Amino acid sequence: MSTSSTGAVTKARKDIQAESGASAILSFLRHWGTILVIILFGVFFSLMSPYFGTVSNFNNILFSMIVSALLSMGLTYVVAAGSFDLSIGAVVTTTSIITALLIPSIGWIAATAVGLGAACLIGAVNGVLVTYGRLSGIVTTLGVMFLLGGVNTYLSGGYQIPVDYNEAVFRFLGQGRVGPIAFPVIILAAVFVCGYILSTRSKAGHYIGAVGDNPMAAYYSGISVYRWVIVSFVLSALFSGIGGVLLTSISSSAQPVGGQGYLLEAFAAVFLGATILGKGKPHVLGTLLGVFFLYMVSSGMNMIGISFATRQLFNGFVLLAAVGANAALNREEIHLKFI
Amino acid sequence: MATPLIELKDLAKDFAGIQVLKGISLSFERGEVHGLLGENGAGKSTLIKILTGVYSPSSGEILLDGKPIHVHRPVDAHSHGLGAVYQDSELAGSMTVAENILLGNEPSRVWINRRKIRQEAAEIMRQIGLDLDPDRKASTLTAAQMQMVTLATLFHRRYKLIILDEPTARLSASESELLFKMIATFKQSGITIVYISHRLHEVKLLCDRATILRDGRVSGTLERGKIDEDVVTQLMVNRSSADLQIENRGLRQEKVVLELKSLSTSRLAPLSLTVRAGEILGVTGPLGAGMEQIEKCLGGLSVYDGEIVVDGAVKVIRKPGDALKAGIALIPEERRKQALFPSLSMAENVSLPALSKLTQFGLVHGAAKRNYAQGIIERLAIYPNAPDRPIRYFSGGNQQKAVIGKWLERKAKVYVFVEPTSGVDVGAIRQIYEIILKMAESGAAVIVISTSVKELLALCETIMVVHDGTVSAHVPRSAVDRDGLLAMTISKDAQPKAGMAISA
Repeated sequence: MSTSSTGAVTKARKDIQAESGASAILSFLRHWGTILVIILFGVFFSLMSPYFGTVSNFNNILFSMIVSALLSMGLTYVVAAGSFDLSIGAVVTTTSIITALLIPSIGWIAATAVGLGAACLIGAVNGVLVTYGRLSGIVTTLGVMFLLGGVNTYLSGGYQIPVDYNEAVFRFLGQGRVGPIAFPVIILAAVFVCGYILSTRSKAGHYIGAVGDNPMAAYYSGISVYRWVIVSFVLSALFSGIGGVLLTSISSSAQPVGGQGYLLEAFAAVFLGATILGKGKPHVLGTLLGVFFLYMVSSGMNMIGISFATRQLFNGFVLLAAVGANAALNREEIHLKFI
Repeated sequence: MATPLIELKDLAKDFAGIQVLKGISLSFERGEVHGLLGENGAGKSTLIKILTGVYSPSSGEILLDGKPIHVHRPVDAHSHGLGAVYQDSELAGSMTVAENILLGNEPSRVWINRRKIRQEAAEIMRQIGLDLDPDRKASTLTAAQMQMVTLATLFHRRYKLIILDEPTARLSASESELLFKMIATFKQSGITIVYISHRLHEVKLLCDRATILRDGRVSGTLERGKIDEDVVTQLMVNRSSADLQIENRGLRQEKVVLELKSLSTSRLAPLSLTVRAGEILGVTGPLGAGMEQIEKCLGGLSVYDGEIVVDGAVKVIRKPGDALKAGIALIPEERRKQALFPSLSMAENVSLPALSKLTQFGLVHGAAKRNYAQGIIERLAIYPNAPDRPIRYFSGGNQQKAVIGKWLERKAKVYVFVEPTSGVDVGAIRQIYEIILKMAESGAAVIVISTSVKELLALCETIMVVHDGTVSAHVPRSAVDRDGLLAMTISKDAQPKAGMAISA
């Protein structure tokens, strides 16, 4: 390193020190604010209810958020690439139905593989339509969502599809325990680690971020922009598919509808997660913490006896506050984008 | 002499029958800095766009190291090692400087090694003498720094030829110095630089050779040391098309409409001037040297100090809406982006500012709107006469007329035109000039900001030249001739009638 650039760094540090105390607090809040809020809520609920701050409740929260967390982490890639995926909820149901339908005939391993393969195919279709097909991400995935709704009803005939009680290994995926920890939580942790490494250490994650940040710069840098957008959609669908398989195992059945409920939670988590650590853009760790926050608050409110209606109200409020905070973080000079 | 790096052979390009390049033969040697000069419309930008794969040539060849190459898409240009830095460099804002420099060209195959990226970027920056923190977010850089980072990117990719288009337009003096040092480093490592600029002193300082384009042809190539104002001016002036037969015979009235009192911004030294009713004031100078500040202040796109007075009343202009209320209409250069709604019809576009007049009981009166638009289309001779056709299907010239048409009925007191005929076909230029002259005739104050000397001489009654944020000349039209004005735009010390001295 040349001394001159070290000099520049020292100068930058001095500049930061020279900033007034108020802006130092602001930059602290920008970085740690959301995490601080999460901790404060945790402390608040622990004080309000003796059952909240227990290990078993912590396990419960983790267990209840599994499917949601998987969807949200997948969605993170698409939002990072600058698009939207509204089909993830329907993908959960489709994967779940395909897996449950095929287990009796081809066994659980092959059935799971076919289910996940179908999910990836849906993601690839989404990706190709928004890139080569030049369609908008919102409209495309909205269309695919309705399309899958039809497929799901058709495949299931509108009834739940049970998984045989003798499929012990398959049921272990969602219902097993390793010591005090539920096995699906371990799967979630493993997927998170892979997803985290993928987004922070691999070229795929690096390029997906670059494309979402400035597609033009990415294009001029010789990055195949379309490929990485498609990859992000495939990842999103794959993660949702894993959620679908776990859901099937947890409930020993596939439901003809129901995946859609996760969609809004996932968006809330991604945008909430974008504010965590002051990144201002979606990242996998933030998303996971975002999901955790939503489920922790839900559990806490449940324990201190707050009605379902109020909880819904609160979730809506959290989403708006998170997006608002994000907008404040990434303040543009002129705001003229209304997607 | 060895084979030149790039050789252009009889390169020609026409757009819908209009010849823009009429057979360019030119060579760029390895490791030279080659200046490219020429008036607006001489073909410089078309030539660059062919070299970077944005346009394909109609005929002719490009030879790289003596072998013909095909450059049909930007990707082809990249793969042959030909790159360009435009004024608004594209970087990924949330990534660091180091990540941007290596973007798309990371050292490893699958994984990202941040330490290695940082090291390699730091090494590149050390080599070219760019003093920036590699971990800084790109969005926090100034425009100049972004431009330097883009240069570093091209250096890292071992490009053979780098085109710099008006690189100092947005740089301060000290930033320009740094850029010049970087260019010297590039040259030493064998990279060829094509340097496009209107600033002659920079071309003199940097370039080994300079080629002057005129009217789609090479009008001359000068060796270092022979590049001087008189010769360059003489080679630049396009006498064949000098006679547009439009002239402003003097429409100025006594009444002062627009007055600027010590108007200044960070890039414009305090400027005071008056524009009278009927007066057309032309403003010119090198790109980015301050003339664009005037339009930004008047259009509400930039904060300023000082006062803007319209019809004797001080107006505070902080956003575009304020400018309209003050009676100032800005007709920007990038019409498609800034002034038109491409998918709306011609009728909807031109009637938009007049909608409040065309409403009855709060509803827009369809027939009235159509009639109104029809009237404007006829008055401005917009072709074809198709009010319901989306405006993106009209030619550049007719789009420009539509932009002017938008403001016709609003009767603004001050009209500010920025490059009113850039991208406009030859036939429409004359009509646009006539419209502008009519506006002045009816008592409006008009400011035309343009880099085309021909345009200013045809339209204006007074002409102002801006260099480095300061007015270097403010003279009546009658006091300048074509060569003189051209010399004044490329060098601030030139005489208004320099052309007389070197009658060759």
